[in-house]
Amino acid sequence: MTAQLAVEVVLTIPDNEAETALATLARLGVPLGGLERADLYRFEIELVEIEPVEREALLAALRSLETIYNPNKHALRVRAEPAPQPGELWVDEIHPAAAAARGPVRIAGRTLGGVRAVERFTAWRVVDAEGRPAAAEVVALAAETLLCNPAFQRSQRV
Amino acid sequence: MSRARVGVLVFPGTNSEDETLRACRAAGLDARLVHWNAELDAVRALDAYVLPGGFAYEDRVRAGAIAAHDRLMLAVKEGAAAGKLVLGICNGAQILLESGLAPGLDGEVRPQAGFAKNAPLGKFRSTHVYVKLAAAPPRCAITASLPPDAVLPAWASHCEGRLAAQPATLERIAREGHVTFVYCDARGEATPGAVPNGSALGAAGLTNRAGNVLALMPHPERDGWTFMHHDARREAARGATAAMLAPSGGIALFESLARALS
Repeated sequence: MTAQLAVEVVLTIPDNEAETALATLARLGVPLGGLERADLYRFEIELVEIEPVEREALLAALRSLETIYNPNKHALRVRAEPAPQPGELWVDEIHPAAAAARGPVRIAGRTLGGVRAVERFTAWRVVDAEGRPAAAEVVALAAETLLCNPAFQRSQRV
Repeated sequence: MSRARVGVLVFPGTNSEDETLRACRAAGLDARLVHWNAELDAVRALDAYVLPGGFAYEDRVRAGAIAAHDRLMLAVKEGAAAGKLVLGICNGAQILLESGLAPGLDGEVRPQAGFAKNAPLGKFRSTHVYVKLAAAPPRCAITASLPPDAVLPAWASHCEGRLAAQPATLERIAREGHVTFVYCDARGEATPGAVPNGSALGAAGLTNRAGNVLALMPHPERDGWTFMHHDARREAARGATAAMLAPSGGIALFESLARALS
């Protein structure tokens, strides 16, 4: 039995990439009020329920990996749900080696006990002019217009 | 008769415009830099476009994705549709795939393929490579003056250079002759070991259906003269200025472009 845990790394400083994407989408006529971006890691763990000690070990490992987390400009958060929520678009790459990557996962030089797989996404949070999660069709339009190249990427949304 | 006027396009983050311009001029082209804020009518008046390498818009969202929607690309798309020649190198090639100008199956201008992160490690690679013509030279107007099976030296310098597409699309790209260049070794053998990035079909370059657009991942302009070259020829030329400045092979692609425009 396995359980999933999703962790996101978000910038606490202005996100130039999200700003550029927002400006480009607006210029292309996609009606957005705002756009946020996060690096998202979804772990598959060999537990029915994730024990706090396992979770803390995982988070500590992520915090020690300076290539993905810089405490001066990032916040690291555990997601309540390991799946996209309304207004969200999770994009990952279709990679030929993805299937082979399953197995014991090493982070920061350590094999994390019980972690069987990790998926990495760019998570976009699309909001309307009132700051509410954007309608599903707007999220789909943003994906199709700019945020996902279906030739080699996949998108997940509600 | 006036020479064809070629625009070397510069987006914010482009970094290979000078060597690309130098290669174009060395091949006899009337080339000039065209910045992203240029008047569109002036861009439309040009006869051909070269999109050089770099990190346009810092590769935000995906390599080439934002530049593919830049206003300059309106002129490039119009020009390509009218049959003008368009050459994209490295980041320029990524822009051409993101804009849908290549491979352009069924004549459609929408993203049908992309240059994804290198396999297997997904890391940036800078390495000397050779590419070989994989189609008959006239299949692409830009390569039409190269000899069959021409082998060009170049430098691969990218993190996202792996041609990727859905299997059915890749099958059509191969079957319909869109693969213009494949990676090969110095003898011209297209072996898996010569592919630096896991690119599907071993592809280094793609053309569109009409053959007037070429997206080439490695940089031939960075191996235009012997001082830029990789093997024993450069070592043998040390101390001899004329030998160091002798063409090393990459310039041949720009000479072929020049012939196509003459």
